[in-house]
Amino acid sequence: MNSFDSYLHDVLMRAHQEARDDGSPTIEVQHLLLAVAAEPEPTVRPLLASAGLDQDAVRRALEQEFVQSLSAVGVASNAYDLPRPSRLPSKPAMGTSTKLALDRGFSSVTRKKDLRPAHLLLGILAAQAGIVPRALAIAGVDQEDLAARVHQALTEQE
Amino acid sequence: MTESDLPKDPADALAAVVALRRLADRLENAAVEQAMRAGWGWPKVAEALGITRQAVYKKHAQRLIAAGVKLRRREG
Repeated sequence: MNSFDSYLHDVLMRAHQEARDDGSPTIEVQHLLLAVAAEPEPTVRPLLASAGLDQDAVRRALEQEFVQSLSAVGVASNAYDLPRPSRLPSKPAMGTSTKLALDRGFSSVTRKKDLRPAHLLLGILAAQAGIVPRALAIAGVDQEDLAARVHQALTEQE
Repeated sequence: MTESDLPKDPADALAAVVALRRLADRLENAAVEQAMRAGWGWPKVAEALGITRQAVYKKHAQRLIAAGVKLRRREG
């Protein structure tokens, strides 16, 4: 396994855990972002930190996005103080939003051996709609600017 | 909800769909677990949810067994 493959493997393991903790049968892109924000890696985490993001900040923003989205249709998320459901024992499947982020990250290189951890973040940041862009906006992050800086960091690495 | 009650921004309306599904999934997980711990059988849970026994079993059995919930026989 090269270093990108082992990074991807570790991130997916973390994302898998996030999905299970969330009671989700699928790994969605928000679980992938939480995993990327926690995975020790010398380029990706500093880039996120430069935008004020660590895993806690991402988690808070995601929770706030959930609350806000429900309240837009008049539902209070604290209407039910639900007990934590038992976690799924099986491996969550890859969700559509995760597949899309991976495809976008991978398609930014022509040769697979050129893939770097930051390409994964770039794939996540390419999202045009959905939970991730909304949570980033809530966290006060300029998604386009962050993507541009990730791109820049990748160019400098070459 | 009438059409005029929709959030102005389609992004908000679509995000609300996603959030409501997540809330409903959480509620379903907790409610099915509660029912099974209270001794309900799969057919009754399935009927209450308006889905087939197979669907409810497929979705929840593995999780409840792993959580140590004592389940009645699938047929029971």
